[in-house]
Amino acid sequence: MEAGRAKGTVTPLSFLFPAQDAHKAATRVQDAISEKERELEHLLGFISDNANLINLVQKLPEELHHEVMVPFGKAAFFPGRLIHTNEFLVLLGEGYYAERTSKQTVEILKRRGKALDSQVDSLKAMMDNLKAEASFFDATASEAEEGLVEIREEYVEENLGEQESGSGVNKQDVPSVSGVDGPKIVEEDAEYACIMSRLDELEKEEELAAANGDQSDEEDEEEKETADQSLEKFYDDKQSYSKGSTSTWLRDENVGSKELLDKYQQQQEASTNPSNCSGLSVQSSSKEDVSSGKNSLAQTQRVRNPNPAAKSVTFAEVKEKNQRSPPSTREAFTGSIIERPPAIPKTSKQETGTPLQPSGSQPSKPVSRFKMQRR
Amino acid sequence: MDVGIDNFRHEKVQRFEEFVDRRLKPDLVHAIAERDKVFEQQKVFSDLRRNIENLEKNCITNLRTLVNLGSEVYVQGDVPDTRSIFVDVGLGFHVEFTWSEALKFISLKEERLARQIEEYTQLIASIKAQIKLVCEGIRELLQLPAERTVEGRVF
Repeated sequence: MEAGRAKGTVTPLSFLFPAQDAHKAATRVQDAISEKERELEHLLGFISDNANLINLVQKLPEELHHEVMVPFGKAAFFPGRLIHTNEFLVLLGEGYYAERTSKQTVEILKRRGKALDSQVDSLKAMMDNLKAEASFFDATASEAEEGLVEIREEYVEENLGEQESGSGVNKQDVPSVSGVDGPKIVEEDAEYACIMSRLDELEKEEELAAANGDQSDEEDEEEKETADQSLEKFYDDKQSYSKGSTSTWLRDENVGSKELLDKYQQQQEASTNPSNCSGLSVQSSSKEDVSSGKNSLAQTQRVRNPNPAAKSVTFAEVKEKNQRSPPSTREAFTGSIIERPPAIPKTSKQETGTPLQPSGSQPSKPVSRFKMQRR
Repeated sequence: MDVGIDNFRHEKVQRFEEFVDRRLKPDLVHAIAERDKVFEQQKVFSDLRRNIENLEKNCITNLRTLVNLGSEVYVQGDVPDTRSIFVDVGLGFHVEFTWSEALKFISLKEERLARQIEEYTQLIASIKAQIKLVCEGIRELLQLPAERTVEGRVF
């Protein structure tokens, strides 16, 4: 990593693999290849012989007898003929012969042909391997001649940790949020950083949106841009806590806001939304929007007032963040819940009297608090 | 001076060794292979002679045999008249003989094959002798003590 320390080693390739040796190896492999080629030719000869024989055996029974020269030893033959042309004596191996008809003989021969084919295939595969090897040796030789060097460096795992430590905020968040102390996986840190920054953005946007309700478009686009993965995970976590009304709030922010743009303009609140939750969220958000930014702002302020103590403590901040942060564990949530009670009544008043009120009320609360802190 | 002589000797030894390795030894291998071929021929003809004598002795005029179609697949063959036999006389020619004619030809052929074998044996012996001679020359050049008994055993 650092220039000062020489962690790696540099070895010229020609030291490891002298060009001459590489060439020698290449030629040796080439020899092996040519040998295999000869073998292959041999096998191909067998295969063609076999095919011819199959043809012959198939045709022999067409006639009762064939005029041929019957070999008598290797150097002589008699004029004669083949008789009993549908009876063949086939070697099974180990000196055992079987009497077969033409058809049966053809089957045997075809099986032999298959064995030969598989042999050819394996031989070809071996030759391919050898060729790859030869090309590798050639490449190595040429590289060694060109003076290529090999650079090696040990992989040190600490590096990642050091990099991560740079972002102190995240680290602080991690223990507080998760409540699980001790070494957390570095990845999670990164994820938190991502999510937290994203949340900050979202909050800003929400402020803007609250100010002028129609701006929610921008939110959506930006959402897409930022790390989707982390957000998704976030949502999943939140949804799993469907009890915790925060999920609905989140919906408001993200999913709800998207649909809001369209639907809010059309004044359709819950009709099109797939799930109850989302429907609720839409309602609440739409109401916020409908009521116009001022209304929402007013909400936030009200919320703020009831629990000043929580705000004053810095931990409260953290907890709020936790609410929004994806990996929220139970503990994180409990923190948020504690803060809720004062807020609920106020929001519920604002919201319409639907049975879903609690969900609606909660979403508004966290937002408001955060805004307060920011200001 | 000594260095020059040594170099000269070294070159000569090298040339002798090359001669042995690149000329004499391949020649020897080739000659042995040729002689083996002739041995085979001799065996083929002696077999044929024995077979024909068998036919003669048993007065077999027609014959049932198995014909190899290749790949060890056999079909029955029938020879209605065995008295005329076609014998390979070399260069792909087959001549129709009666049994007595065939036997006469085969004896001639065997004689000839025996002569060929003798020739090849001579040739092989001479090549071996040459190799030994050159090796001896190399030994003298290097002024090594004579190890005749040992070298004699090698070949």
